[in-house]
Amino acid sequence: MAKKTNLYIIVVGCGRLGSKIAGNLSNKGHSVVVVDKHEDSFEHLSQEFTGFSIVGNATEIESLKKAKIDKADMVLAFTNNDNINYMVSQVAKEVYNTPHVVARIYNPDNVPLFKQINVKVIIPMLLAESDFQRTFEEIIGE
Amino acid sequence: MAYKSYLKVQYKTILGSLGWMFMGFALILLLPVIFCIFYPEEFSNAIYFVEAAAVSFLLGYVLWFFFGKGSQSSKLTIHEGAIIIFFVWLGAVFFSALPFVFSNMLNFSHAIFESTSGWTTTGLTLVHEERISKLFLVWRSLMQYFGGAGFAIIMLSSIGGGVSSSVYTAEGRMDNLQPHIKKSAKIILVIYFSYAVAGVIAYILAGMAPFDAFNHALTALATGGFSTSHSSIGGFNSIPVEIITIVLMTLGTTGFGIHYLLWSGDFRQLRKNVEPWTYLFILLLFIPLIIGGVFGSIYTSLNESIRHGVFQAVSALTGTGFSTTDLTVWNHYPLFLLTLLMIFGGMMDSTSGGLKLFRIFVIFKAIWIEIQKFFLPKGTVRYASASKGNIEYEIDSTLLKNILIFSTLYFLNYVIGVSVLVAHGNDLMKSAFEYASALSTVGLSLGITSTSAPDAVIWVQTIGMFLGRLEFIVILYAIAKLARDFKQYLQSSR
Repeated sequence: MAKKTNLYIIVVGCGRLGSKIAGNLSNKGHSVVVVDKHEDSFEHLSQEFTGFSIVGNATEIESLKKAKIDKADMVLAFTNNDNINYMVSQVAKEVYNTPHVVARIYNPDNVPLFKQINVKVIIPMLLAESDFQRTFEEIIGE
Repeated sequence: MAYKSYLKVQYKTILGSLGWMFMGFALILLLPVIFCIFYPEEFSNAIYFVEAAAVSFLLGYVLWFFFGKGSQSSKLTIHEGAIIIFFVWLGAVFFSALPFVFSNMLNFSHAIFESTSGWTTTGLTLVHEERISKLFLVWRSLMQYFGGAGFAIIMLSSIGGGVSSSVYTAEGRMDNLQPHIKKSAKIILVIYFSYAVAGVIAYILAGMAPFDAFNHALTALATGGFSTSHSSIGGFNSIPVEIITIVLMTLGTTGFGIHYLLWSGDFRQLRKNVEPWTYLFILLLFIPLIIGGVFGSIYTSLNESIRHGVFQAVSALTGTGFSTTDLTVWNHYPLFLLTLLMIFGGMMDSTSGGLKLFRIFVIFKAIWIEIQKFFLPKGTVRYASASKGNIEYEIDSTLLKNILIFSTLYFLNYVIGVSVLVAHGNDLMKSAFEYASALSTVGLSLGITSTSAPDAVIWVQTIGMFLGRLEFIVILYAIAKLARDFKQYLQSSR
């Protein structure tokens, strides 16, 4: 893929991860829209973030429509609930044909489900595991 | 001690960025010099602008030299944004006043008044338009044009980056058109520029000289009101010119969010916007009243009454301040109606001042809901909202609280300002009119604003225009933060 400097990215879930990533992407010059159920969550956002923030439940199609999901180049499903992330990914992939969807999932058992609909996944548990492996090797190697 | 060093880094960043901006401001001050190409005979006046630019650049360079170098790591939040925007505006007003002082046209207080009136897009003036150099006329129009867009927009589209986005919200702009602030700023600038070009062309087609067309297009769109003719738009005595001006004033008073919806063809969302409807409603309500007030007593023909009534009403509501007729001969009743229109002001995120139509709509809707609630069963929850641009705002206690604070500050200032004017021996009606004109950055005048006015009157109006343009709160924040930080600094150094 040719490197585009201005992508339209929707971040669903504005927790610690979502807000951090939204800020980084916005700082890089991308158009970022954040969707979260609670207005208070937007306080996580840093000053770098200059995009839109929409209060809405991501399981309701209206919230995603408000975020103009039909125009999105990328959807990031970063809520703290695997089921919601799956649903958002599915809507993005299958209803709106969003080119790139990335989901964060807690339970590694769910990975095949996401792979089925061609969604890229980030699994904190596995990341932590491999990180631990490395730390362990370092300690042993000394 | 840790806090002290934190403050030092913070203020280093603030002063450093101010240095950058003042150096950049020198470029704006040099713009009128370009007009020497068209008017070579004006060359002798160009020196005043070059001098002012030199002062701006040198001061900026000194600030940058001492504070701007090295680490800029400190993240800028809305707090620093408020201080930056406060000083950028103070600096802009000060540097813009210099050419008037250097040329001995106005004394210092009067020059500051004139440049504040320019940058705040007010249009009250202390110069005689037909007796000053063309370069100064252009400079007055440019001040209003840039002042209408605001510094945040100009900075974002030219430099972008961290400082500008903290300034964006601080300057009272909420009109995010696109999910990226830099793009929004560019769109606003494109819209604003295209309207100006269209305005110049329309005026020329209506028979104006290109120089007048250029100046009036800029100041009408900025809802500024500086003219090149001493009797304002009335000096042209042409109905097409007046109609074009009304259109440009309306475009200027329309929020950029609404323009963007119009440009992108989103008519469904556009229809939901409450402000254009409020604008129309208020005009349709007030214009007949004003016409009724002037017909018979001031103008004998109905046509004259309609022509002047409509123009003055639009000029007052949009906060422009052009006039087609001598208002000093009007009676109290139509003048009072115009005062009300001036207090109402234009739409949010536009170039107008005043209470703003969005706030007025929300207040009345809230009253309506309260009445309805009276008849509903206990515990009923009602959702009420008002749309502005592409965002639908829920009418909740936070929104109402902000409106309450804003209107209280507005009227507090209004009462103080009017008292000062009355205390200096002015008529109450005239004072109420003149101060509403300053505080809502309109620019219609009944003659209190003149070079023979006492300095206190000039300064209270200057402060009114400044507060009105920046919507009070950011200035209060900035001053409060400065005072607080200064106190903390002293305490921690002990």
